[in-house]
Amino acid sequence: MPENVLRELRGLIRSHTNRHIDEWKAAGKPVVGFFCQYIPPELVLAAGALPLRLRGAGSEDSSTGDAYMSSHVCTYVRHVMSLVLEDEYRFLDGFIGSNTCDHVRRTYDLFQKKTTVPFQWFVSVPRTARKSLFSYYYNELQKLKVALEDHFQLEISPDRLREAIARMRNVRDRLRRIDALRLPDRPKLNGTEAAVVHLAAHALPPEIFVDLADRLLESLEAREPLEIPRARLMLIGAELDEPDFVAAIESQGARVVADNLCFGSRSVLPAIVEDGDNLLKTLAETYFFRLSCARMIGNFPDRWEELKRAAHHARADGVVFQRLLFCDPWGADLHNLQLRNRKENAFPVLALSREYGVVPTGQVKTRVQAFVEKIEITRAKGAAGVSP
Amino acid sequence: MNSNAFANIPEWKEVFDTLPTIRKFFAGDPHMLGLNSLLENLSIYFDRFMDHVERRDPFVWYNLGFSSELVYAMGDACPLPVELLGAVHSLVGNHRMSLDFIDTAQASGVPADCCSADKLAAGAMHKGVYPAPALAVGVNTPCDAQVMNAQILAELSGAPFFSIDVPYHDDEEAIDHVAAQLKELVEFMEEVLGRSMDLDRLREVCEHSNRMTETLWEWLDWRKLVPLTQSSKVVALTLVLQILFTGTAEGVEIAQSLLREARERSERNERFFEERVRAVWYQDAVWTDMQIYDWFERELGLTVPVDVFGYYAQEGLIDTRNETTMFKGLANKLVRCQPMSRQFRGNIDMYIRDFMNMMEGWNADCCIFAGHVTCKHAWGGIGLFKEALRKADIPLLIFEFDMFDPRTTPWEDIYFHVERFVEEIVAPRKSRGM
Ligand code: SF4
Ligand code: SF4
Repeated sequence: MPENVLRELRGLIRSHTNRHIDEWKAAGKPVVGFFCQYIPPELVLAAGALPLRLRGAGSEDSSTGDAYMSSHVCTYVRHVMSLVLEDEYRFLDGFIGSNTCDHVRRTYDLFQKKTTVPFQWFVSVPRTARKSLFSYYYNELQKLKVALEDHFQLEISPDRLREAIARMRNVRDRLRRIDALRLPDRPKLNGTEAAVVHLAAHALPPEIFVDLADRLLESLEAREPLEIPRARLMLIGAELDEPDFVAAIESQGARVVADNLCFGSRSVLPAIVEDGDNLLKTLAETYFFRLSCARMIGNFPDRWEELKRAAHHARADGVVFQRLLFCDPWGADLHNLQLRNRKENAFPVLALSREYGVVPTGQVKTRVQAFVEKIEITRAKGAAGVSP
Repeated sequence: MNSNAFANIPEWKEVFDTLPTIRKFFAGDPHMLGLNSLLENLSIYFDRFMDHVERRDPFVWYNLGFSSELVYAMGDACPLPVELLGAVHSLVGNHRMSLDFIDTAQASGVPADCCSADKLAAGAMHKGVYPAPALAVGVNTPCDAQVMNAQILAELSGAPFFSIDVPYHDDEEAIDHVAAQLKELVEFMEEVLGRSMDLDRLREVCEHSNRMTETLWEWLDWRKLVPLTQSSKVVALTLVLQILFTGTAEGVEIAQSLLREARERSERNERFFEERVRAVWYQDAVWTDMQIYDWFERELGLTVPVDVFGYYAQEGLIDTRNETTMFKGLANKLVRCQPMSRQFRGNIDMYIRDFMNMMEGWNADCCIFAGHVTCKHAWGGIGLFKEALRKADIPLLIFEFDMFDPRTTPWEDIYFHVERFVEEIVAPRKSRGM
């Protein structure tokens, strides 16, 4: 029964940690936390550590984070930092900071000054994915590699890296298959369930995730396809590690059939070829050039084309852009997207601002409902030959 | 569009109508040399701006983290920071026009919780008040707001776009990384503008830039004297210098006027207020009402000898020996010297260390953290900043406002916060000899 596996996965992502992380630690193996997708988990894995993208799940209020970061910083970061400052992430053996955005950048200051996490490192990721800037990123990853080797007293040999790449590829293979099951008219799983699976991939040791994902994929084969939704939606934006938000959207008869989210499909990078002679470089190239994030200046036109392609592929009736309040990088994308869309009229867009850790209110549901109705009316007019 | 048509765009007309009046008003005070020079050169900039429009010279749009040297080095190209018109209206023009830019930006999809500097820029671009650019440059410093600004600039300019990444670190590798990009930018400009950069022209620009920097260093030294004899507000206005005039003879002239004014007033021990308390104003200036600083001086005896915009770190000048040293020098400036880029971009240590330097070097009694509501890097570090000041036993006032939008916190409220802080905390403490 897929429900059983999904229940298990849901339980594992309910909090910022889970029993598999405990077991990993109990086996004497380290855990290294980080925020940003530009920190390749393969490199951490190759250092014998569990790469863990930090989440604020389980944080009931952000007051400890607020005390250091004020209330003008994105709530995702404030909730994570509340957990960190309350020592709820005490199991971390390392933290890799980055200049993803100003909010994440400042967390490194707090890690440095307020925690005793033994390994701490900062990776400065260029803000543009231009060829000439690649060497700076690559160099930063080389330095990270050496720092990990020094700290964990091992050599990240080509074999270790190759193995880590293969392990992460297994994870992404499963996610790709899960995503494919979302696409049919009557899919095998909904967007909320897919979000749970994606999140679990960030919260579990790769093999544990692969095992659970395989069980899920197998059990889904026997599942009755879901009903045709009132509207097929694509969900995009930055951090979203709260399946309840997706559930609120889907509660209005819509279905999230595809996404481009930080904890979602955006992290499902193309397979990394692991037989080159410089694996770290190949890895770095994939992350630098294939990941398209709003923090990267100047690549919005590519992101826009990619979004149109993905929305078309998913046969999405509309796009929901969710953005955490105070987020500048995605604020710029929201502006640019609305601008392009006004010119090209590519799809209906619904922009939703949200705060982390807040159960979606009636307002979100009402707005989604209105959006779905608008899509239905347009569709009905189209069917009746009336220009929408 | 020719310059006449341009000058009749309401947002420009207002500037051309207002600036002479403001100049006349301040010209009445022969001691305000710095401010008068800034206003005069601003007028010259706008006159030249119109000449460029008339001659159809290429315009180069950029966001506020970039400085103008390389554009000036391209001969007749005209630098245009996209926040310009909104900021000018906020300072000397018509406030309502700045607010109109802000509202236009929000109506076009810029979220309300983003920096109003971005909104001034986006609003102006949406309204089409700038001459079309030949190319645009975006830089990620000093903050996310500038990343946002660069993204919107890239989208709205419709012109070939080049971005510069200033990394988190400030080591030699970071300088080389930026220097290589500046070189790349010149190649890009050469290709788009169809002309080569003249090395002698670049050298001249760098020399101007150096002279301006040296002059500002000397000027800042005069502002260390107690009591302060020069107006508080001019320190923040040096931001206009760095964004618009770096690398020009006008920039040198403004800096020299500031220096002369500070020196002469100090030598004459001239005062127009009784100094009781000196503050380092950290973070943003009240751009919507610079007269508030005069009011602080007269009513509270509060002076601001230095702030983050006026603080030019002594991290070396541009070595003008050859092309390589010049690019490296310009990169060094962007990474280690340029106000904001130096303090806001990296770790919190530099931010706190520079504050402590200002506190000590300029004999301040307290800190006023003017918290622009949407300045996330600053708020993100506020807890550590507070702790550092508590440890050093420095009185600290924190208040929230929007540097370009008085609708967030009216000036009466700002004045009220500052007044209470000065009267109830800093002045009594000082009189107790603490
Ligand atoms: S949601 Fe935006 S502000 Fe928050 S961590 Fe992500 S990029 Fe930064
Ligand atoms: S005020 Fe803050 S957020 Fe705005 S441009 Fe300046 S540093 Fe950036």
